[in-house]
Amino acid sequence: MLQIIRIHNELLGTYGDRGNADVLQFRAGLRDIKAKVIDVSYLDPLPKSGDIYLLGGAEDAAQLLSLTALRKGSILAHAANKGAVVLAICAGFQIIGTNYSTRDQENAGLGLLDVTTTPGDRRLVGDIAVQSPLFTVPMTGFENHSSVTTLGQDVQEFGTVITGNGNGVAGIDGAISNNIFGTYLHGPVLARNPEFADLLLERALGEALPTVIDELADHYAHWRRNVARRNVAKSSI
Amino acid sequence: MQVAKFAGFLSRAIGNQGETLPGRILLALEPEAISLLAQQKEVILVSGTNGKTSTTRAIATIVSQLGPVTTSSSGSNLSWGAANALMSDAPYAVLEIDELHLPAVIAQTDPTVVLLLNLTRDQLHRMYEVKRVADRWHVECAEAVNTVFVADIDDPFVNYSIANATNVVRVSFEGRLHPDGAVCPRCGEYLTWAGGHYSCSCGLTNKISELKFADGSAAYRNAILANVVGEVLGAEPVEFEASQLERSISKDVGGKRVHFRLTKNPASWTEALRSELHEDVILVLNARQVDGIDTSWLWDVSFRALQGHHVVVCGERALDIAYRIHVEGIPSTVSDTFEQALALAKGSEISVLTAYTAFFELAM
Repeated sequence: MLQIIRIHNELLGTYGDRGNADVLQFRAGLRDIKAKVIDVSYLDPLPKSGDIYLLGGAEDAAQLLSLTALRKGSILAHAANKGAVVLAICAGFQIIGTNYSTRDQENAGLGLLDVTTTPGDRRLVGDIAVQSPLFTVPMTGFENHSSVTTLGQDVQEFGTVITGNGNGVAGIDGAISNNIFGTYLHGPVLARNPEFADLLLERALGEALPTVIDELADHYAHWRRNVARRNVAKSSI
Repeated sequence: MQVAKFAGFLSRAIGNQGETLPGRILLALEPEAISLLAQQKEVILVSGTNGKTSTTRAIATIVSQLGPVTTSSSGSNLSWGAANALMSDAPYAVLEIDELHLPAVIAQTDPTVVLLLNLTRDQLHRMYEVKRVADRWHVECAEAVNTVFVADIDDPFVNYSIANATNVVRVSFEGRLHPDGAVCPRCGEYLTWAGGHYSCSCGLTNKISELKFADGSAAYRNAILANVVGEVLGAEPVEFEASQLERSISKDVGGKRVHFRLTKNPASWTEALRSELHEDVILVLNARQVDGIDTSWLWDVSFRALQGHHVVVCGERALDIAYRIHVEGIPSTVSDTFEQALALAKGSEISVLTAYTAFFELAM
């Protein structure tokens, strides 16, 4: 049974990122792979045995509470070290970094990814598309944040920004290291990009997945990529 | 002001934005127009994420017992909409005000009563965060020492907004869960919830209020809140049908009875899906500015109530909603046009849940 841990959705669920867990479970189910979604609230201890851990976007105070709770016992870092998959979006991406600061304070992050986040000077809101070396097709999503994230030596970017802002610097979005993925893409990102959902399932299971066809999912992803391409074409005129 | 009114006549004649153009021109000619016009009136403002338009209409009905009322044109809730309504000679002005515009309009009008309904996620591409809106309300409510605030404090963001206000009527409906209420908006601690009641170590709670009522639908609550505002002003209570306080419209289209309901964010979709629906359900989703250009929030709504219904989706973002409900195990047909969606219906009565722009295009 694949365990998908949805971390603190009541805090890290501002931008619909809870759907990432639902999509993973759904796409596992298409292959008759049993998966369950375990919702872990701020008050619950984080399970050590998760296969995939998911963190989403949040408002400032909620983000800080979540970080404070996750520091206890460093369970997420231990799980990631053992190979568990971690997908962290936006505020979640920021808190698994080395540190992040707001206008009011600087916070040590969980240290899963070698990235540093600082406040930016404007809000970055809108559709975003990213070309990641992990995929042949662009990943699409929606971003809404005002921070700038800088990568350290030990991580690669998730992808190059085709349209939108991503990390807000260097024309890139997100960061990856082994099975740990950070990105600014909401949407939710796994709903918009079934290839990404399947990659995470494969990493969690340690084997290639049988191919399945979910026409609606592919149609949806294809359509969003076309919209992104049109946006690029428009902005280059 | 005559110029502005004439411009309204002209613009209605050419069929373009007639409702707010006079207000826009007036504000361009006289930036202080709202303050100046408001001085001669009893101003009542209504704001919140959901229920502004219908509750404003209800309050206008209640207040009309006291004298002539000028009120906002349906949904026209930015500053020029306020300016427009204030141009009337009526002694009472009942205005719905956009959440982000509310602090400025409170400062400009020094209102007699302000009704704060609720604050949940909506149009985040514009609002960014719920807390950001509540912070602005909090500051302005403390400044408005002459105003009576009627506040539904089952919403912790509303309760925080009026925490430092001078005159407050706090109303509670036995508490209810808030979709975005995990963190105390006042102090940032984790809010403790027991059923629909919350409390925080900083003291923010909905257990203490001036008025308590039984729980009920959003329409029922808004009717009560409207009457509380009326009572503050000295008006007799008015009874409303629930349907008068929903943004819903029924009409005959192509031989079928079509029931439209406005649904625009997770809270209002959840409320609409809790209501009785016909076997045929059409979901219409656009994502223009007023709809919210980000559709991610669809994943925060459970559509399980649609299980067993015949569902057709359409609108510019039909695929977003089709895939979202697909993952929840609800099949649907994607239709290119609303007319085609109607034609696919099996029965003669159809429930249509639709976001903002489509509601105005199809139902009005």
